[in-house]
Amino acid sequence: MTRSANRRMRIFYLEDNPLIAFHVEQLVEDLGHTYVGSLDSFKALKLQFENYSMDVALIDVDLADGRTGPHAARWLKDRKIPCLFLTGQDHIAADAGDIALGTISKPVSLQSLADGLLLVPE
Amino acid sequence: MSEPLFSFGKMQEVLILAPYRRDADYVRQLLLAHEIDASVATDSDTLADQLRGVPGVLVATHEALKPEVLETVAAHLEAQPSWSELPVVVLLDKNARTETLRLHLNRVWPRARQLFYHRPVRPAELISGVQSGLLARRRQQDLYENLEREVELRRELNHRVKNILASVTSIFEMTARQAASLSDLKQDFRGRLSALAGIHSTVFDAAGEQVSMSEVAALILEPYRREGAYRIRASGPDVPLNREAATTLALCLHELATNAIKYGALSVDDGNVDLIWSHSQTSGELALSWIECGGPPAKEPSRLGYGTRYLRSAMTMFFGNPPTFEYTVEGFRFSAKGNISRPN
Repeated sequence: MTRSANRRMRIFYLEDNPLIAFHVEQLVEDLGHTYVGSLDSFKALKLQFENYSMDVALIDVDLADGRTGPHAARWLKDRKIPCLFLTGQDHIAADAGDIALGTISKPVSLQSLADGLLLVPE
Repeated sequence: MSEPLFSFGKMQEVLILAPYRRDADYVRQLLLAHEIDASVATDSDTLADQLRGVPGVLVATHEALKPEVLETVAAHLEAQPSWSELPVVVLLDKNARTETLRLHLNRVWPRARQLFYHRPVRPAELISGVQSGLLARRRQQDLYENLEREVELRRELNHRVKNILASVTSIFEMTARQAASLSDLKQDFRGRLSALAGIHSTVFDAAGEQVSMSEVAALILEPYRREGAYRIRASGPDVPLNREAATTLALCLHELATNAIKYGALSVDDGNVDLIWSHSQTSGELALSWIECGGPPAKEPSRLGYGTRYLRSAMTMFFGNPPTFEYTVEGFRFSAKGNISRPN
């Protein structure tokens, strides 16, 4: 185990499918991190960002307000929040490769989430 | 969308290769008189650039076919996308040996639709040759667009399948964590999966992938009504829901119904449930209540099951604020409200 794997992080999730958000919430807690909440659109994120304290954000590509995941990642990056795409749209995430630390493919598993989170710098 | 591989800017324009100025002007004027756009390649240096604009048809005179020209055109033909086949009209000298040249051009210019005319060529003949070339180009463009659309559809399909698989994975994980026994797991997983499958079919069959709140309620609650002993009344106005909203509400109603059957009003013969919703078209606010009565008194569980936790989490996301759970002597009550036409 590396040190970063032991680090407890506050994790936020931008996702419009509540089933997947709920599942990821469980996985985040299984990994010993803190799940700080989720929102379903970039628009909602911009309005409510101040209500969440996060160390890293997981972001889907397609959200309730369209294909706005990459815009949200850019917006968060400008606010010094590192992002990981968590999506089935790997090709779009790959196009936006410079914005995020990496991509976790759907369906997500405990292992793939843990591996993805290792990319978050200390 | 990524940039198109190929530009169609000039696919309806004719490129004329004729070293003798008067020939070039003559052909150009003739085409223009028939409302066909044309431009002239003045030398072999600019030819490659002009080919990059993708001509609709190439018209070349016999004397234009110099080695460097043959090579430049060949390179363009080589680089064509698979659906493209450049129509070429060659104007031969009167006494040219057609067969030799035809064989040669077939070899050095693959994937070109070649037409040969002897000079002097009748204007009507030349025009009809060019027009048939342009028509072929239009068909090629249709083919290209269909191929593009197919790629797009396959991507969308892949995306949807992945989302469904991810949803099913999440349902399975959620169910497996909760299940005390294999038979619990089977029963709960089957129920959730069939709610998901049912709403998928309902949304797919609906025009424009929009269904109403009443349809969602009917889909999820109908199986319990049919079993006879249960009384579930559902009432509320028509509220149009998109695929995501309908799916979330269907899965949540499913959780409410199964909870009622296991622990609530529907666990006894005399119990019943009212599902009531209202919708303000001006504010976009949807308010939803699930009221159980006639069953055993509801007691707040010491530890929330995954179904209830999902309900809370999904409804919070859906409405933008958390729902209310009430455990009263009359029975369990659930209510949630929020603006479902929130700025997206």
